[in-house]
Amino acid sequence: MLALRPTTGRSSCLTRVIVKNVNSRRLSAGPGGQQQDVDVVIVGGGPAGLALASALGSSSSVGNKLSVALVEAGDLDKLKHWAPAQGAYSNRVVSLTNVSRDFLKRIGAWDYVEEQRTRPVEDMQVWDGVSGARITFSASEMGLKHPENGMSRLTENFNIQRGLLRHLEKLPQVQLIQRTKVQSISQGPSDEQGWPIVHLDNGTTLRSRLLVGADGFNSPVRTFAGIQSYGWSYDTQAIVATMEHEPRGAFEGPNTTAYQRFLPTGPIAFLPLSPTVSSLVWSIRPHIAKALLSCEPTVLASMINAAFRLPAFSLQYLYDRILEAHNGNLPITPPQIQEEIEFRERTHDINQNSAYTSLIGSTRRGGVAPEEAESVPPFVTSLQPGSPASFPLRYNHADAYIGEGKGARTVLVGDAAHTVHPLAGQGLNLGLADVECLAKCVERSVARGGDVGSYTALLPYAQERYLQNHIMMAAVDKLHKLYTIDLEPVVWARSAGLEVVNELDSLKAALMMSAGAEAPVEPSVAAWSAASNLIQGASAVVELSRAVKSGATNVLFNGLSNLLSQTQQRK
Amino acid sequence: MSSSSSLRILTRVCSRTKPSRRLTRSAEKRPLHLSASHRTAATAVHGHGATVNADEISHFSRLSAEWWDEQGEFAFLHRMNPVRVQFIQEKLAEIASDESESGAIVPPHSVLQGLDVLDVGCGGGLLSETLARLGANTTGIDASEANIGIASLHASADPSLRASGNLGYLHTTTDDLLTASSSTSSSPPKQYDVVASLEVLEHVDNPSHFLDTCCKLVKPGGHLFLSTIARTPLAYGLTILMAEHVLRKVSVGTHTYSKFVNPEELLDFFKRYPKGSPGDYQKWISSDATTYIPRHQAEIRGLIYNPFSASWSLGPRNSLAAAQCNYLMWVRKPKEGEV
Repeated sequence: MLALRPTTGRSSCLTRVIVKNVNSRRLSAGPGGQQQDVDVVIVGGGPAGLALASALGSSSSVGNKLSVALVEAGDLDKLKHWAPAQGAYSNRVVSLTNVSRDFLKRIGAWDYVEEQRTRPVEDMQVWDGVSGARITFSASEMGLKHPENGMSRLTENFNIQRGLLRHLEKLPQVQLIQRTKVQSISQGPSDEQGWPIVHLDNGTTLRSRLLVGADGFNSPVRTFAGIQSYGWSYDTQAIVATMEHEPRGAFEGPNTTAYQRFLPTGPIAFLPLSPTVSSLVWSIRPHIAKALLSCEPTVLASMINAAFRLPAFSLQYLYDRILEAHNGNLPITPPQIQEEIEFRERTHDINQNSAYTSLIGSTRRGGVAPEEAESVPPFVTSLQPGSPASFPLRYNHADAYIGEGKGARTVLVGDAAHTVHPLAGQGLNLGLADVECLAKCVERSVARGGDVGSYTALLPYAQERYLQNHIMMAAVDKLHKLYTIDLEPVVWARSAGLEVVNELDSLKAALMMSAGAEAPVEPSVAAWSAASNLIQGASAVVELSRAVKSGATNVLFNGLSNLLSQTQQRK
Repeated sequence: MSSSSSLRILTRVCSRTKPSRRLTRSAEKRPLHLSASHRTAATAVHGHGATVNADEISHFSRLSAEWWDEQGEFAFLHRMNPVRVQFIQEKLAEIASDESESGAIVPPHSVLQGLDVLDVGCGGGLLSETLARLGANTTGIDASEANIGIASLHASADPSLRASGNLGYLHTTTDDLLTASSSTSSSPPKQYDVVASLEVLEHVDNPSHFLDTCCKLVKPGGHLFLSTIARTPLAYGLTILMAEHVLRKVSVGTHTYSKFVNPEELLDFFKRYPKGSPGDYQKWISSDATTYIPRHQAEIRGLIYNPFSASWSLGPRNSLAAAQCNYLMWVRKPKEGEV
């Protein structure tokens, strides 16, 4: 419909011809509903969506020029007033890089994040569960600008979301539409340039100049935009839980070390939140995850301790025991699992006083810690009630970040654009980097009088983010695949690889980034490429080792020497 | 680029509908004509006794899709637009800051606020819309009636442009803006703080006359922004050979090499403009400035295209070496009393 009213009675030259008189702003659209014109509609109130709303709302150049609305199906008020009991932590934790934290500081949201509920990671220990090869990182050795902030900061997702919501409270120009679902999204009439129209279940429709999909893995915005995505499911579940443990002893330093052990079933990570509370992310095959979660929490706690300590094949034995009991509908009991673990430890000659014993209650409290106590995380004594849970892991990357044609004026950020394996803790950080870049594009476009929904305005966002995300996602994916294989030659290459890794600056930079450090030398992408190449080399070995079975031993040998010579050259 | 396509579109419109309208009608009728066309269009849609059919609307819409298809024929122009606006903003801000009595720095993002701006050869309104969003009272004019229809239609879909009401389009020419007012009333023609005519000069038949009319529409102390293409082998290779014939990004025949204008020629023009003996008028660029371009009188900036990022950037100031292909020029009309 033409948005023009006849300019009656105006015949003088140079009258303002269009624009003023509008009769087609159809305020009523649909039964009882209202149509509202909004410049930026963000679908999804997760960390990425909220951060984008905060960034746009707090931007001096955008804040008063664009109208911004965020639609979320859930209850954001509840999140805003989230008040956990002293010492209680939510089970979803994020490792926030310094880059991400700086971004939150710049937009003014970090002031509202409860810093007491965050924990700097000062050291990291990463080791291969099969070969035992280990690398250690320390923030103090990284040449960071502020080593006291650690290489990253662990905190609960809720803490970030609540901080962003409190920040948004100070930005009334951002409209929060909560407890409201997006019913459908349609393309507007062509004479309105086909701006996307978001139909809400409260009857309102939002005609959006720019529609941002921050709506997660099953993004309705992505579907509307007709953007395909490519990916797979890892046949892995991540078990999360909030773990309680004894404080570190006097000579062991504070609880600021993150641990990650790569097991053939997937990596298990121990992420410190306070001196006596840490968070678990344990990637494991779905059937084992199910069996573990159906046991008593004490069993899970014992298994967590064992998973950081026992040799991989003993763990496999324990999983088999648990599965057997689970399938027989007689879940294993705490005394039974204790007995099994004790038996495995005796078989492995693990001393009852060593750091590697995983029996709750059998350790000495206080005094001098056993040797190598810092090589493994503190003992888990219990799990916070209700905290154990699990979710499936996937790899997924949208084919494009900007909609075109019928899906024009749409853009994807965060999990709607990409879902990544959590082993490197990069998911939320990638999302925040998207948001920062998109907010900058919007600011730049506004500063030049551009149309923020236009392809021209959004193109730099896609150009900057797509490749970076892809490289990092590919590297993380390869890491996962490399370490979930326990074929002998691969393990050998792997341990060799890891020890070489320790020597290589570029790779160390890459792995530190995975841990969430700010890159010591800036070109992050280069570091990731280097890492992914090395890992690719190792993956080639995986392929080759499959060929071993068909007798191609000399090929394998060549493959391994290639890998090593490659890594040597990089050095 | 823009105006040629406007010509193309115009030709298409003419062959489809009616013979080309001579652009010599009196100026008062022209805005009327525009509103009339929209009135009929609107009434046709609303069904109150139509004179013009929905055909015309759909025709406008179809052309509009072409002008505003950011990955189509005008992709280069869309990408160029932010950089052109940047040049305008930064130059205006520089001069405004230099001349602000309080010595305060005028930020580029607000410098256009409230200025009267004329966009000559507005085409589909790419530049006009951005200038209006930045707060300028913008009038876009184009010799092609079809373009004006497209530009109006596109702007009318944008609620914030509708609300601010500072954007208007006229189907007219600079000649007509000058002659109409002088023939009908004693009042002099309206002059503008800023006259911009981007990617137009290489499409007009008599560039010096065209420049003269643009200059007359600038207020004393006001600004004229031009952009065009230099007549160099490089420009031939990029804008005609590559863009039109090899890559086929732009329709064949969009550009005519002989119509390209070199930056030196423009500088020369303004060193001699306005005509008359040196004592009569202050020339727009001091004629004795032979080795440099005075910063408060004019500036040339090359526009450099990076095919890998599909983006344009500004070359160094007054570097004619960087202005071997597309370039922008700013020149300022001397204030009254400056001799």
